[in-house]
Parts: sequence; C-alpha cells; structure tokens
Amino acid sequence: MDNQRNNRIEGALSSLDGSKRAAAPDFFYTRLRARMLARHEGGERGLTKNKSREWMLRPVYIVSALLLVLAINVFVFLKGDNETTTATADNNESVQQSIAAEYSLNDINSVYDLNQDK
Amino acid sequence: MTVSIYLYVLCFSIFLFGSSVLSCFFSIKKQHDFVSCTLKIQIYQRLNEQELIQGLRNNDETAFKWLVDAYQDRIFNTAIGIVQNAADAEDVAQEVFIQVYRSIHQFKGDSKLSTWLYRIATTRALDLLRSRKSKKRFGFMQRLFGENNEPIYEVPDFNHPGIALEKKEDAARLFKAIRQLPDNQKTAFTLHKLEDLSYKEVSEVMNTSVAAVESLMHRAKLNLRKILKKPA
Repeated sequence: MDNQRNNRIEGALSSLDGSKRAAAPDFFYTRLRARMLARHEGGERGLTKNKSREWMLRPVYIVSALLLVLAINVFVFLKGDNETTTATADNNESVQQSIAAEYSLNDINSVYDLNQDK
Repeated sequence: MTVSIYLYVLCFSIFLFGSSVLSCFFSIKKQHDFVSCTLKIQIYQRLNEQELIQGLRNNDETAFKWLVDAYQDRIFNTAIGIVQNAADAEDVAQEVFIQVYRSIHQFKGDSKLSTWLYRIATTRALDLLRSRKSKKRFGFMQRLFGENNEPIYEVPDFNHPGIALEKKEDAARLFKAIRQLPDNQKTAFTLHKLEDLSYKEVSEVMNTSVAAVESLMHRAKLNLRKILKKPA
C-alpha cells in the first residue's frame, strides 16, 4: 500500500520531466501591440510611427472628408447661383445709366422752385 | 448653373483620384515596410545581445519584435507554470514585454537579457497571484473560505499544454501541490523543472547563490511530497 502511494508521489514529481514548453498564443505580438497602443505607449516612445497616418484610413474620417467635399460643392453651387443673379441686376443698372448719360437725362432738374420768379 | 455642376463634378473626381492615389501609396508602403522588417529581423538574428539592446534603446520596432518572437514562449511558459491559467499567463507575458520596452534604458547589462526577462516574469506572475489572494481575502467571496484561507470549493485542475497525455493526471496533481508552496520555492521549482534552467541560471534569476537554490529545491521537493501524501 505504502509502496503504491510512494510510486504515485514519485510519478507526480517526475511528471514534469521531459515536458515541452508551452507556446504563447497565436498573434501574441499583435495583441501586445494593441495593448501598448491602448496605453498610448507609441506616442511617447515613437513605436507607432505609422499611427500618425493610420487615422486617415478610419471610416469616420473618410466619411467626414466626403461630407466636407459635398458641403463645399453645395456651397459653391448655391453661391454661384446668387452671383449670377446679382451680376444680371448690375448689368441692367449700368445699361440704364449709360442710356441716361447718352440722352442727358441726368441733368434734368425735376424739382421746380415756384418762388424763384416772384 | 452649368459652371456649378462642372465644379461639383471636378471636385468630386479630384477627391476620388486623390483617395485612390493615397490608398495605393499606403499599400505599397505597407508592403515595403513588411519586406524591410523581415530583412531587419534576419539581421537581428545574427547580431549579439548588446546590439539587440542598443536597437531596443533606439526604439527600433524590429528589435522589439525580434525580442518578443524570441522570448515569448519562454516567458509564457514561466508565467503559466506559476499562475496556472493560460489567459492570466498571456496577460503576465504581455506586461513583461511592456515593462521591458519601458525600462530598457534602466537595464545595465550586468546580467543576460534572458535572466532579466525571467526575473520580471516571475515577479509579475507572483504579484498577480498575491493580488488575487488579497482580493479573495478581503472580498465578498471570503465567506466561501474556511480556516487558513484554504478554498472550500474545488479549484479546477490545471493541465499544462506541454505535458504528455499519459502524464497529465500526475502533472495536474503536482500543479495543485505547487500552488501551496511558498513563493521562492515555487519560483525555483518552476524555473528548474518547467523551463529546464540550471541551478546557476535559476540563482541568477532569483538573485541568490547556487547553494540557496539547491536548498530551495530540496525543501520544495520535501513540501511537495508532504502535500501529495495527503489524501485528495
């Protein structure tokens, strides 16, 4: 009985002999880098030099850039329409002025001083 | 009106063209980075430890990747031997490399880099165990514990992934017994038996003499025999 127990103990004690090394999980480095990035390690030490460019490829920035371009286009479209109307109005006024100048209409004094003759 | 539509189309096509050029540039750059990184890793394999440390001090990402690739299994194996949980061991291993990255400037080079890494790994793993124990001690779960903080419920058996199938049962009993060893005996036993380090290497990691490690190993074996003798 004691012999059996001793054998079991010795068996347990020697069970680690010849064991293989446990391998780290797959993508260990990727996860390590993600953790480091999460702690803003890269910003302090320059490990994540690519980080400064990566933000450009994030969907939120791409969508924002698209919306910005659309907004600029809408603005240009509306502004352009207004300017055309103003330009037409300005043209009409200048034509009127030139006609008035040609026929000396600007010199006509339409206000009469009724007391002047008296 | 026509001008505005023309402008609109022009802006949009410029934007599309720009974004496609940018994405092409980044994909080419990524490929180039990958190739240069692989070449650098091959170079680091030929360099000695001092040059690797210099690379780490210069914030060279390739040097850091090489270090992680070279030592991740050793650190993970050490950690899993102490904490006896794969997720916790991964956590510890990650923390080890983060600490190395942060404090490589403080590494004086008195010992080997591997010794330093093992030292950090054992310290971190034991810290994790201590924090778990103190949480249990002061936490709500203390009601589940009996005298001497021994758990009343059964902790699941730990199966080390590197143990042969026929030895799994014995190894699980041994790991259960290792949990009850004092920290320094646990460290010495794990490093020697699991990581296959010599007594000299273990003494360097533990910052002690070879004789002290021999004594620790002797006491660890005695204690393990005592624990294993107890009926399950």
